[in-house]
Amino acid sequence: GRAHSADAASSLGSENPIGSYHASVQELLVIEDLLSALVGIEGQYTSIKRVRGKEGHFTFQIDSSMDLALQEMAKRIFPLCENFLLINQFVESRSQLKNGLVNHAFAAALRALLLDYQAMVAQLEHQFRLGRLSVQGFWFYCQPMMGSMHALSTVIEKAAADNLAGSAVLNLLQSQAKAMAGDHAVRSLLEKMIQCASSAYLGILERWVYEGVIDDPYGEFFIAENKLLQKESLTQDYNAKYWRQRYSLKDGVPSFLTDVAGTILTTGKYLNVMRECGHSVQVPQSESSKLTSFGSNHHYLECIKTAYNFASSELLNLIKEKYDLVGKLRSIKHYLLLDQGDFLVHFMDIARDELAKKPDDISVEKLQSLLDLALRTTAAAADPLHEGLMCCVERISLLKRLGTLKDIEVKVPAAVGDDLEDPISITGLETFSLSYKVQWPLSIVISRKALTKYQLIFRLLFHCKHVNRQLCGAWQVHQGVRALNTKGTSICRSSLLCRSMLKFINSLLHYLTFEVLEPNWHVMHARIQNAKSIDEVIQYHDFFLEKCLKECLLLLPELLKKVERLKAICLQYAAASQWLIASSISIPDPESSSIGPLGSEKSRSWRSRNRSQGLKVTADKSAAATDSLLKFEKEFNSELQSLGPILSSNSQAEPYLTHLAQWILGVGNEQ
Amino acid sequence: EESEVSEGVLVRDVLYACQGIDGKYVKFDKNYDGYVLLDSVKVPRATRVMVRKVCELGWLFRKVRGHVSESMDRFPAEDVGTIGQAFCAALQDELSEYYKLLAVLEAQANNPIPMVSEAGNSGNYLSLRRLAVWFAEPVVKMRLMAVLVDSCKVLRGGAMAGAIHMHAQHGDPLVQEFMRCLLRRVCSPLFEVVRSWVLEGELDDIFGEFFILGQPVKAESLWREGYRLHDGMLPSFISQSLAQRILRTGKSINFLRVCCEDQGWAVAAEEAAAAVGTTTKRYGLGYGETDALEALIAEAAKRIDKHLMDVMYKQYKFKDHCLAIKRYLLLGQGDFVQYLMDIVGPELSEPANTISSFKLAGLLESAIRSSNAQYDDADILDRLKVKMMPHGTGDRGWDVFSLEYDARVPLNTVFTESVMGRYLRIFNFLWKFRRVEHSLIGAWKTMKPNRITSNFLTKQEGSIKFQFVSTLRRCQVLWVEMNHFVTNLQYYIMFEVLEVSWANFVDEMDSARDLDDLLAAHEKYLQSIVEKSLLGERSQTLCKTLFLLFDLILQFRSHADRLYEGVHELQARTAVSALSSRGRTKTRQKQNDDTSWGGGGRKALTKLAGEFLQTIGQDLENISKEYSSTLEGFIGQLPMQQHVDLKFLVFRLDFTEFYSRLRLGK
Repeated sequence: GRAHSADAASSLGSENPIGSYHASVQELLVIEDLLSALVGIEGQYTSIKRVRGKEGHFTFQIDSSMDLALQEMAKRIFPLCENFLLINQFVESRSQLKNGLVNHAFAAALRALLLDYQAMVAQLEHQFRLGRLSVQGFWFYCQPMMGSMHALSTVIEKAAADNLAGSAVLNLLQSQAKAMAGDHAVRSLLEKMIQCASSAYLGILERWVYEGVIDDPYGEFFIAENKLLQKESLTQDYNAKYWRQRYSLKDGVPSFLTDVAGTILTTGKYLNVMRECGHSVQVPQSESSKLTSFGSNHHYLECIKTAYNFASSELLNLIKEKYDLVGKLRSIKHYLLLDQGDFLVHFMDIARDELAKKPDDISVEKLQSLLDLALRTTAAAADPLHEGLMCCVERISLLKRLGTLKDIEVKVPAAVGDDLEDPISITGLETFSLSYKVQWPLSIVISRKALTKYQLIFRLLFHCKHVNRQLCGAWQVHQGVRALNTKGTSICRSSLLCRSMLKFINSLLHYLTFEVLEPNWHVMHARIQNAKSIDEVIQYHDFFLEKCLKECLLLLPELLKKVERLKAICLQYAAASQWLIASSISIPDPESSSIGPLGSEKSRSWRSRNRSQGLKVTADKSAAATDSLLKFEKEFNSELQSLGPILSSNSQAEPYLTHLAQWILGVGNEQ
Repeated sequence: EESEVSEGVLVRDVLYACQGIDGKYVKFDKNYDGYVLLDSVKVPRATRVMVRKVCELGWLFRKVRGHVSESMDRFPAEDVGTIGQAFCAALQDELSEYYKLLAVLEAQANNPIPMVSEAGNSGNYLSLRRLAVWFAEPVVKMRLMAVLVDSCKVLRGGAMAGAIHMHAQHGDPLVQEFMRCLLRRVCSPLFEVVRSWVLEGELDDIFGEFFILGQPVKAESLWREGYRLHDGMLPSFISQSLAQRILRTGKSINFLRVCCEDQGWAVAAEEAAAAVGTTTKRYGLGYGETDALEALIAEAAKRIDKHLMDVMYKQYKFKDHCLAIKRYLLLGQGDFVQYLMDIVGPELSEPANTISSFKLAGLLESAIRSSNAQYDDADILDRLKVKMMPHGTGDRGWDVFSLEYDARVPLNTVFTESVMGRYLRIFNFLWKFRRVEHSLIGAWKTMKPNRITSNFLTKQEGSIKFQFVSTLRRCQVLWVEMNHFVTNLQYYIMFEVLEVSWANFVDEMDSARDLDDLLAAHEKYLQSIVEKSLLGERSQTLCKTLFLLFDLILQFRSHADRLYEGVHELQARTAVSALSSRGRTKTRQKQNDDTSWGGGGRKALTKLAGEFLQTIGQDLENISKEYSSTLEGFIGQLPMQQHVDLKFLVFRLDFTEFYSRLRLGK
């Protein structure tokens, strides 16, 4: 019976208002229209209206002449139709290429759901054609879909409103799933959606974590690559931007990955470094390591951890074995921390004249060729790594240079900071430093910053050595007059002063090298041997440098200034010693004034000449010499003594200073 | 007239429409651009909309099939190409699948609805809504195909593959799978070309679709110009670096085949194929197997390049030839150069147009015979030839003489004409420099036995004696100054430029893995020599100054010769006048008579000597002045050079800071 009437109903013209039919006919007509409405098509007595102001929203309206009960029933079903329209529209728009892989996958999952829905509608139609469907039945069959379609449409509304893409979609789905945890059906539906949508995302993640490649055509991944930063920049860039900013985390890390985002970043970064070195390493993959899902079993976390361990150990191996990191560090120690001194002595001998010039007049090329000469003629020639050594001459003094380095925490009290001015005559001896060519990938560890720190230490050491050599020269001069009768002259006193200055500079050098550099280097070496990842290596190396800088007094300008002052007095004394002795013992030859502190040969001949002449020195000259000697002595001793309080006051905070105090002030106490 | 139709009839019409055929009631409407139900048919509004929606598939189908049949009609046209064909074939296959579905649906449409109650006329089982469910998946695919057809219509070859690849970047698993299948089909011709190019060196690319372009060139420029990348045809899934490697591998095979006439590459290619395994069979490579492709390319490139390097080094003795060029063209073989200079020197002093190159060839031959060069490989010596450059009026032999090395295939890939031209420039520079050095040494030879002249000195009077001493002294000082310059420059050129560059070149040659590396290494070698020996673009003024210095030195030589000749004459003259009574050999007397000074007494002789010394002294003075000002200019310009090594040359020349102090003194 009903089938007949359905046909009859469909054949009726639309010109008759529905109210003019009998209620049972009306029911058939309404079902027919509802079936259309479910797939978003207007029927005879239903119409679709756009909601004003809301893009993509529709409402269904129904002929008001219809039986009120039927009208009410139809209105209950309409939300489902509206949701269908909304979802369908979303699917169509999000499948476009530009919306990104996650949206595509999400849309695909929704489309599968809509297909089920359409199949249900076809089933309903079938039932209807068989004449077995009443409005009540219709309502009943729609029930399972109502809930899920509603839940999805709320999610979609949010996604569409903010035009979400990538991980934001995943986060939204996840938060919605959590918010609707009470409704089991909806929750499992949303979880299925997450599953589908995230598979595309996990594909990107997999390539990054296992191969170090960003295969992300629509920019959805949470790691950004800055292609402007080149690895070559590491050798110049003080802040090592390449290592820290080449790959960086973006906003929008999917919530299930927030805890491991850092690990993921470093894993891919390590793999990428190896790729840049020409080693295309892939994390060995097995079936179990496929990042297919991120269920509650946290399998994906295991996978990421494994990949990280593999990548970091592989990279560490590469850098330690193939690129010989420790050898390079040792070589830097040889040259920049003066661990192997013979080349330095040779270099200081041959480059003395050049270094004594002002920094602007120095020819770096000449220094470089002299350095090469020094390297090739000493034990350094056996070291294949000496090729990377270069000269450089800076323009400003060590103290000032320290002031310019913002990030090294120099504890500069405001008052001290101001009078950090250069001595008027600064020479190459103060500003000379070595540099070292570091190739990729070692430049990750030995960055520009690290090298700068090495150079700071080198400059301090180099100058100390210079002072030491000058004092040794003065001491030699003193030795030259030992055979003479020096009673009554100031030579004994001068000799004593020379000895105490030597003691001072030697203790300082001893402290710097044996108490600071050596033990710290060995600690670092041992730590690097046991390091687990390259970041640890960088950390240990930086820590070593930082500690050395601190213990070498470079971060204590107050103290460093004192030391510089002492060194300056020593240099002045050394320069004057020739004249002091000459004027205390005999009338100086015009020639002898030009004798350098190291001109021992000349002084020997001069000594033999003087022996016959005896000790004929004019009294006023001798007195002048004694005066200036006393001045030197006084100045030196007072400076040395003033070092004491500073050292002891600082040694509370910096315990290593007690070592230094022991060494240096031991001298002071003796006097 | 209006008529009512049943849904069953509509379904049948829609099924036809979906195959692009107009039905009875559903027809293609041009204005609407789609299939619509005729207005005359009286159906509910919902049905009309439904029909229109379902018939979207028909519209899409029309588009796809239109493209396929259009392209197929044009086969084998160039603007379709093999990749276009593959694309059409893949689309055709998809359409066949689609036909199958339609056939099934058609059969279903004829099935009546199974009724519980047998009575009554029933509708058909397949309703429009049911059809919409059936069509859900085909529509997605068909839409994809339509989009591809739209965006790829104008493209061909690798560009088309690339465009399709761009559409494959989709997150929908269904789309991914579909596109992967499609791309495998589309790209198979492309990968086949890659395979045969990499393993056989064949470029089977009739329609110009491949990303490597070949063009017929001479054997010597095969490597540089024979093949190049065609960026427009490079699909985006093959990276630029991979494409470069592919290009080089095939190029290596072709180079081996054409230039080296070598067959061994086939073995290397087979080995590579065996090492990679299954993917090297015909049509073994496919889209999406980038790893396999990279592995194949890596293996093939490694082996073939290694083979190529072996052939270059062992069979064609590349290193030996480089060394030979260094020894002969860059004057590295000292005894040979010395001897050659000795014997061709007189010949070259003649005007250029009177010199016979046959004679020079003979002299070259004898220079080879009488130096250690004779023990060199005959093949190498055979290639060494004399070349006379085109000469202008007033040119001397020195200006046009040069040596040439005949490189021949395949070495002329490295030693191209322009490269040999640069070698020639270096040779000319070095040759000139050697000549200057040679003549300075010649001057020394005449100046050395000055004991005799000092003997002559003692007998002269005060003023003339002083003049004599000062002239000789000036000459000696100037010589020492010039010699200092020449020796240091010589040292610099020989050791800091040639030997250092050569050592670097040898290192790079040993580590070169393919011909490109080798070419780059050689280019670097040559470039560093040119740059460092002042022949580069940026040091042209410097080079001019240097040549000025050379000319001055040559002038000095002639003056010095004149001075000593004159002194000898004077000496002989005095000796004759002093000993004329005792009698002397007639020849000497005769010679004296021939001299310009003629006869005359002692006084006249002194006067003559005075005048002679005066003019010579003046000349020397002029040269000395010009020389020191030019040299100062030269040294002053050096530090401004880009190249670091030239700065080193400065303090080599000015090691004691003599010149810089001189300048400060001014």
